[in-house]
Amino acid sequence: MAGFTNSSCWSTPEVYKHHEQQKICPSRPKYREGRRPKAVKVYTINLESRYLMLQGVPAIGVMTELIELSALYGAVDEYRVLDEYPAEQFTEVYLVKFQKLTSARAAKRHMDEKSFFGGLLHVCYAPEYETVEDTRLKLQDRRRYVNTMTQNKAKEQEQDQGDEESKKPMSSYTVATTARTSSGDDQRSSDTSNKGETSSTSQGHYLGFPLLPLPPQEFLPYRHAPPYDRSYSYQANQCRTIPTEDKMGSLHNAINIKQQLAPSVSSVPSSSGGDRGIVKRLSKNPPPAAPPRFIPRTTHLENRKRKIVETNKDSLFGFVDKNETLIGPKLPDRPKMDMADESLNITANMIRNTLKKVASVPEVKPAEKKTKSAKPRRRI
Amino acid sequence: MMSGKGHSATGSDRFEYLQTLVTEFQDTDSDEAKEQVLANLANFAYDPRNLENLRTLQVTDLFLDMLTEENENFVEFGIGGLCNLSMDRECRGQILQSEAIPLVTGCLSSRREETVLSAITTLMNLTTAASRSQTTDTAVLQCMLRFSISQSPRLRNLASVFLQDCCTEEQVARAEAQMQGHHPTALGIPLPKD
Repeated sequence: MAGFTNSSCWSTPEVYKHHEQQKICPSRPKYREGRRPKAVKVYTINLESRYLMLQGVPAIGVMTELIELSALYGAVDEYRVLDEYPAEQFTEVYLVKFQKLTSARAAKRHMDEKSFFGGLLHVCYAPEYETVEDTRLKLQDRRRYVNTMTQNKAKEQEQDQGDEESKKPMSSYTVATTARTSSGDDQRSSDTSNKGETSSTSQGHYLGFPLLPLPPQEFLPYRHAPPYDRSYSYQANQCRTIPTEDKMGSLHNAINIKQQLAPSVSSVPSSSGGDRGIVKRLSKNPPPAAPPRFIPRTTHLENRKRKIVETNKDSLFGFVDKNETLIGPKLPDRPKMDMADESLNITANMIRNTLKKVASVPEVKPAEKKTKSAKPRRRI
Repeated sequence: MMSGKGHSATGSDRFEYLQTLVTEFQDTDSDEAKEQVLANLANFAYDPRNLENLRTLQVTDLFLDMLTEENENFVEFGIGGLCNLSMDRECRGQILQSEAIPLVTGCLSSRREETVLSAITTLMNLTTAASRSQTTDTAVLQCMLRFSISQSPRLRNLASVFLQDCCTEEQVARAEAQMQGHHPTALGIPLPKD
């Protein structure tokens, strides 16, 4: 259609204006000053891309290292050296295509202006390497994301008002876009007496997960300025499962949070067992009230192991409840992404369930290893 | 996690901050300060959490006012802000109420690629059942057809998405025929510099 000449997305590169590093703006008044000096520039979805161009890579055969570093921020689809692209002497320019825009965003945020084998990397988006389909999907994703976010917010507000008026469960909501609402309802309907506590515990527990690296902030100098909906997260006595967006509108942290929640929320407690479950869990696991902090991964794993052992004890006592695979305070439903299509939703659910199964495997492993490693010791 | 430590603040603080920006924009005589504030506001529009506040502050109209400015930075930042805002349904409604489409299509003739790209994306976002006749008017379609064979891959891609997703095949065919025939339009062809 439309005489579109499809030049290969890997064809000879050109130097575009958006590759250039712009001058930082030194003349902002204090109240508009950000943490990092920034140029005066407006970011739109058009500027972003899952294609990143990495300039200033020392030409000393460190491609593997570079790609490994990139892959820390998300799966890399393709990469190659851009031989034709004008590069400074003794450096190379690489093109890296991430699977997701959010990964590219995180990678840019963390790798730009960082030294790498003695060179200083300059990382920029390279949307000119996108195909038409890439561009289309990028826009669709963005629209869907904004839509979900605003809907979530509207529901939060409605719920807030609803809380003040009455505490009846709001079953009329569809679960489609937000698990946050549904989980909030679950908690409220099943556990009105314990409400305050429950929420604080679940929030505490939720925040107890190791935090992901800070979200990228490309352009907003107002890092000190709080997110708008923060008050709700505290008032609304429910934990936030709402995907927290970083300053670039990224969901990368939300997606990861979801994956991390997966093992623990492997089964959603039915409302019948809900009350008892929560009370029991409360007594078992006092809420870690500490504010969100970085927790070393090893500590996290040890905690997890300990919790598994604890539940195993329970099961020995005969308190086996099929719905009781949960450890700790009840977590809300994981936010379910609405794929805006029924069959897509079904597929997404299947993938989700498979992920759940896969993710639950490593939880069992440490326990097994323990018993195995115990045996040889006895022999010696 | 999301907010700096020690800066406890709520939604109303953000609102006040945005309001301060809008006030500075209106009060200052310095173009430099205006550009900075405008860029700030446009970037705030990227984050869906700010959209409600920005709507309340009528930033849509502020952005729209910029589209007719001489200063090309004003235009680029204004249409960038609209591009960000128009991703949201309610903002879209507000923009459409302000008779924005002619102003946006005007940006297609900018010499700056970023401005043109923002304008195309904004037009795509603004295309609804009611506004379709305006956003996919023949002049716009002919312009997109030209863009779709442009040297710039970004422009080419975006125009192709517009033609494929916002227009019917008949519409495109008709525009193509008219372009070769007797009704060519000049929309999207920037005037030569001076």
